[in-house]
Amino acid sequence: MFDLDPGDELALLAETARKLAAEELRPRLREAEAARAVADPVRTAYAEVGLAGLELPAAHDGAGLGALARVIVNEELAAADAGAALALDPYGPALYGLLEIGDSAMLADFLGGLTASGARAVWLDGPEVRLAADGAGVEADVAWLPTSRADAVLALVGDELLLVREEIHVRELPGAGLRAAGACALRLESASIAARMSSRMGALRARARARLYAASLLLGVLRDACDFSRGYAMERRAFGRPIAHHQALAFLITDMQMALDGARLLVHEAAWRVDAGLPCAGAAAAAFAQCIEASRLIGPAGVQILGGHGFMADYPMEKAMRESRALGLWLGGFDAAIEDAGHELCDTPGLALELA
Amino acid sequence: MDFAIDERTRERLADAREWGRAAMRPAGLEADRLSAPLPIDHPYFAKFIERGGGRTRWTGPPGANRPEREPTSVVQTLLLLEELAYWDRGVTVADPGPGLPETNVLAMGTEEQKQRFLGPFLELDRPRWACFAMTEPGAGSDAAAITTSARKDGDSWILTGAKCFIGGASRADWILVQAVVGGEKGRGAQRAFFVEQGTPGLGGFKIEKKMGLKAYESTSFTLSDCRVPATNLLGGEERYASSAGFKTAMRTFNAGRPIIAANAVGMGRAALDEAIAFAREHDLVARERVRDRLEAMARKLRMARLVCLRAGWLADRARPNIVEASMAKALAAGVGQEATALGMELLGATGARGDHLIEKLYRDVKAMDIVEGTGQVQRVIIARELVGLPR
Repeated sequence: MFDLDPGDELALLAETARKLAAEELRPRLREAEAARAVADPVRTAYAEVGLAGLELPAAHDGAGLGALARVIVNEELAAADAGAALALDPYGPALYGLLEIGDSAMLADFLGGLTASGARAVWLDGPEVRLAADGAGVEADVAWLPTSRADAVLALVGDELLLVREEIHVRELPGAGLRAAGACALRLESASIAARMSSRMGALRARARARLYAASLLLGVLRDACDFSRGYAMERRAFGRPIAHHQALAFLITDMQMALDGARLLVHEAAWRVDAGLPCAGAAAAAFAQCIEASRLIGPAGVQILGGHGFMADYPMEKAMRESRALGLWLGGFDAAIEDAGHELCDTPGLALELA
Repeated sequence: MDFAIDERTRERLADAREWGRAAMRPAGLEADRLSAPLPIDHPYFAKFIERGGGRTRWTGPPGANRPEREPTSVVQTLLLLEELAYWDRGVTVADPGPGLPETNVLAMGTEEQKQRFLGPFLELDRPRWACFAMTEPGAGSDAAAITTSARKDGDSWILTGAKCFIGGASRADWILVQAVVGGEKGRGAQRAFFVEQGTPGLGGFKIEKKMGLKAYESTSFTLSDCRVPATNLLGGEERYASSAGFKTAMRTFNAGRPIIAANAVGMGRAALDEAIAFAREHDLVARERVRDRLEAMARKLRMARLVCLRAGWLADRARPNIVEASMAKALAAGVGQEATALGMELLGATGARGDHLIEKLYRDVKAMDIVEGTGQVQRVIIARELVGLPR
């Protein structure tokens, strides 16, 4: 029955992530951005609280938690620094290909290649990646990824998952946002395939989980933009009262919060569907799309509320605006999400959104 | 965390769906076509009573040993009312029963008042209605600004004022009228009075012409030195030592916001399904622009539904839901309007003909952003909580 209580386990997990974010990520916000990497003590703290193996199966020394756990952790970490949240997770959405399509041996192979500090796997899914003409290699030309290195590439081509370990060419980029995670362009030219497996259902679920991964990072950035700008608006005074008490701003703040809350509920419902083994592709695509739509309002509005201060790097609102925009361009962004959600809606017979 | 709908609720939704399809949608279309409320003797109402509708939740006087009706959580109520509004929101309001004031009477009424005013709704001999009258020509969402007055005169109260946009007022057995006492204005001075149909001084009924939701009557009326017995004061004198009078009305509004929001979602869903059917029929789904509009409608309706259910879920746990209820109302009403407007766009010129269901829904759903506090009033309420916006 409908119940929004996260339960003790998820509440504890959220609290753990929130504490780590507040103590380790937030104070080093600009430092990580300038270094284009998170500091080693932060990695140590992340590993110590047990977040590193959140979704890994117990057989691989992980906590074996699901999509709801991931989206809750991601929101908490990204509320402090979304770039750092990405940098701390060596697997990223690439893990979902292995969990949903691959087998235990392929997963072990993948994990074995990511043991170095700062190692990162990359997830590719979309028109920029394809099989080479002979079917034996992988071609890719990706304009931007939020990482400065790629120790492994997991590519989804059709329903087939391809693991690439070598011949990965990356070129560093400045990056519009998420700089703590780094930024690069990536190219594969008939790169060798280390392992490959295929599953239609697995491909849909992997793509859904990847979108929820990005969507939940967006939620964190947007939450911070809402909270920070609201706090500022209640302290900053103009024309004899807090600026939040001018109705134009009060309503803007209200609309920002509504957009955030609605997007979060979509993300949680889609994550619940993933964990319950229900059809989740359309729900996850819609959730990601709605987070992106919310970001178009909240990102710039966070800056707007702070006025001139919002434009300056002394406050984190300009960062939230850049990062939310960048996150919404990842994994095919809005267009790919609404394309998938729209097809599912129109291609599924019967009534839409029917209750029960 | 769980987003599932339980089996019993699914059964009740299936029943609502069948009723909606067979009876509500045709009745709503008929009223819209004729541009008049469904008449009291419309066969729809008799069928509604036959299937067990229109009864009170009151279980009768102490010791009556009447079986309790199946309890319905707020979440279940929202789901059911979303489904019913999908078929015709106007008809859900036209349905007979003790309606909006029942919750107040159950919460605050004396045993004698429950017997007198809810008793006739236990075993129905005919369709019966009751209604709640707050809105006035000069006081809508600002319920504290009402001016209808009540003056004590011996063992009676004398009511004077005007009410407007009251659902079902001319056909109601009794109207629960909100008024101020002691020549004052404001919350603490408000009381609710039962005014029975036919009471001298109650009159001037005018059934308004509306843009949509034509199945039920929205009625204005006047109270001219309308004398009611002292026992018609809801809850009796002792209930009103403080500002409970206003809180009674506000409680109704708070319970109502997520319901209106769920109505808007249901109406938006109806527009979505009609739009998809139209697109399929006219080979339009291959067009990205069409698919993108449909996707946006579905996504936002899905979001609005969850925001509604969150408000209901909090209410079921007796947790504060002021912000969430207002968010549900503000967000869902907007989404409902957007969905029907996009549906109209998708129809193209067909939408302008005036004979398509989406066009009716476009007119109907507008009211969801007005009743129970406009979208702007909801934002004021939310902002008071979020940023301490001064009153």
